[in-house]
Amino acid sequence: MEVISKKQLLSPSIKYVGKGVEFAIIYFKNIILTILTLGLYYPWAKVEILKYHYQSTALDDSRFSFTGTGKEVFRGFIKVYVILILLYGFLFYALQTQNKALMFPAIAVFYLFLILVIPFAIHGAVRYRSSRSSWKGIHFKYLGDRAEFFWLYIKGILLTLITIGIYGAWFQVDIRKYIFSHLRFGNLSFDFRGDGGGLFWINLKMILLLYPTLGIYSFWYYKNLWKFYSENTIITQDGKTINFKLKIEAGDVFELVVVNFFLILFTLGIATPWVAVRTLKFFFRFLEIDGEFDTDSIQQAEYDDYDDAAGDDALDFFDIDLL
Amino acid sequence: MSFDVNYFDGESSRTHKATLSVNSLAFTISYTSVNNIHKIVSWEIPAIKKSGIYTKDFISFTYGDTFPFQRIESADKNFIDYINNNEQKNLNNSLDVLLHKSKNRSIVFLLLTLITVGVATYFYIIPAVATGFATTLTEKNVIDFGDYVFRVLSTDLEINEDATKSLQEFADEMTVDSTFPLKLYVVESDEMNAFALSGGKIIVFSSLLEKIETESQLAALIGHEISHIENRHVLKNIARNFSGAIFVSVLFGDINGATAVLMDNAHMFSQLSYTRDLEKEADIFGLDIMRNSNVDLHGMPELFEILQEETMIDVPTYLSNHPMLKDRIEYTEKIANEQDEFIVNTVLQEKWQQINKTLENNNE
Repeated sequence: MEVISKKQLLSPSIKYVGKGVEFAIIYFKNIILTILTLGLYYPWAKVEILKYHYQSTALDDSRFSFTGTGKEVFRGFIKVYVILILLYGFLFYALQTQNKALMFPAIAVFYLFLILVIPFAIHGAVRYRSSRSSWKGIHFKYLGDRAEFFWLYIKGILLTLITIGIYGAWFQVDIRKYIFSHLRFGNLSFDFRGDGGGLFWINLKMILLLYPTLGIYSFWYYKNLWKFYSENTIITQDGKTINFKLKIEAGDVFELVVVNFFLILFTLGIATPWVAVRTLKFFFRFLEIDGEFDTDSIQQAEYDDYDDAAGDDALDFFDIDLL
Repeated sequence: MSFDVNYFDGESSRTHKATLSVNSLAFTISYTSVNNIHKIVSWEIPAIKKSGIYTKDFISFTYGDTFPFQRIESADKNFIDYINNNEQKNLNNSLDVLLHKSKNRSIVFLLLTLITVGVATYFYIIPAVATGFATTLTEKNVIDFGDYVFRVLSTDLEINEDATKSLQEFADEMTVDSTFPLKLYVVESDEMNAFALSGGKIIVFSSLLEKIETESQLAALIGHEISHIENRHVLKNIARNFSGAIFVSVLFGDINGATAVLMDNAHMFSQLSYTRDLEKEADIFGLDIMRNSNVDLHGMPELFEILQEETMIDVPTYLSNHPMLKDRIEYTEKIANEQDEFIVNTVLQEKWQQINKTLENNNE
């Protein structure tokens, strides 16, 4: 046993092995089908794209796997759009009456609903994605409590409003901490060790330096931001922690952003799938796992068969991306 | 046949190097476990689940409906070839295999299809759906919509009550077989403009009314606006513009700013050309209304000449939606020259005098 374990106790490498041409076929096929079905194919397109990126991400030579289905995402999609149509219908109805006693409450209800639904959507999306993500047959699992997360979110929103945005950095970190500390992978657990002060300082430097440097500082900003998010994420296995290192420099960010920009510009967008692959390759090229990690002894935990993708679909509507 | 695979039992993350033998009924996976015991696992083909995604050098399957799911992964070329050429429907996706066979050719084919589908949707399907929507709305809905727009607009409009009353009488005298109740308003403004709202409201700005010289010119203006109302032009225009803009922004919005701006402008141009088509339709239909009301059709080209003169000096608001005034003068004049003999509608002449009087009183 000793000998076998020792062999495994190396830092495994994580890389993205997707190919532009391969992803382009999937990407264009899905756009065509989405147009032909007037958008109804979108859930299947989304699932196929997620599956491609997962299956192209290799950790220690095994690939990640997304096991969600178009049907699940479609059900969520319908739920979200029925609610949104009702909500918009109610708003438009109230507005066209021109009755002030009805108009203002309607506008208030409309925006309040949109704000209050976000924490539920995040919760649902994280739980669905986790349940459908696996590696070497071991599933991820999100143990967060919906009500607890909701109140954490509301508290954060209110404090951010009261402090005219200053609390925003602490709010974002709190949300991330909550999600990561409730995320499991088999018997491994995650956590986020960053603090709001760190993020606030990164943002403040950006605000102060962006204009004096004519925008050039933004490359350093993204370097700092991405390092902050990745290097503060930790995994715990049997009491031992595993960290991540993102060995990236501002010059790398510059190369990524500028090349992506010109690729898209000169091809009028046709290069989009190649840019997506390039970007993922970029991140995983710089991401290193730091610490001894036994990739063969992770034990499966109980399955959270959560098939409600409505949260995930709602986040698409708000254009919020997970992680 | 046998292939190299990695087998995962679903209990732990341990990678078992395994040998897979396949036949038409089952996958048989054999491996040696940690404690040196030889193990054999059998997967019945119908319960095998493919990963649902094609990647060239890697293939994976899961098994069973009850948790934990077993899994195999393989980078064995022979196994991948075997699966790609397999006829069992749950093991591969023939469309994906076909598309990935010759990648560059597939990309060219998909891009051409995408362009064809995009162009066809934008130029044929979306306009048909949008106009269909505008045409099938009930009259009540159309009127409600117009009323709503008018309520919002009217707070900024200074309505000339006397002129409005006489203009309404003038329009009522025109022979129109209208589905919508016509309601006209004269609004005090220096702008040379007139427009129609859905469901029957027509707004004429006072300075345009003052420039008009004959009852047939006024009949041309009103006839043109009535055509917009009767043919639901406003709704058609909005529906088309809105759905086209959504289509363009969904397709290009996510890509990048430059392409999106380019496409938005292309959409604006196409929309402008549609607006011109609607204007022409309204002119022709307006001439019919004039003919039925027994007024001289030359009122229409004359009206355009007035507008052309005025817009040279004035801010060309009317021009912006009504381009090519020169063309419009030409084709309306041609139709006017072919007008049959008619008995001049004297009631309209009287009503026109009345409007003139109101305007004069107003200016004193």
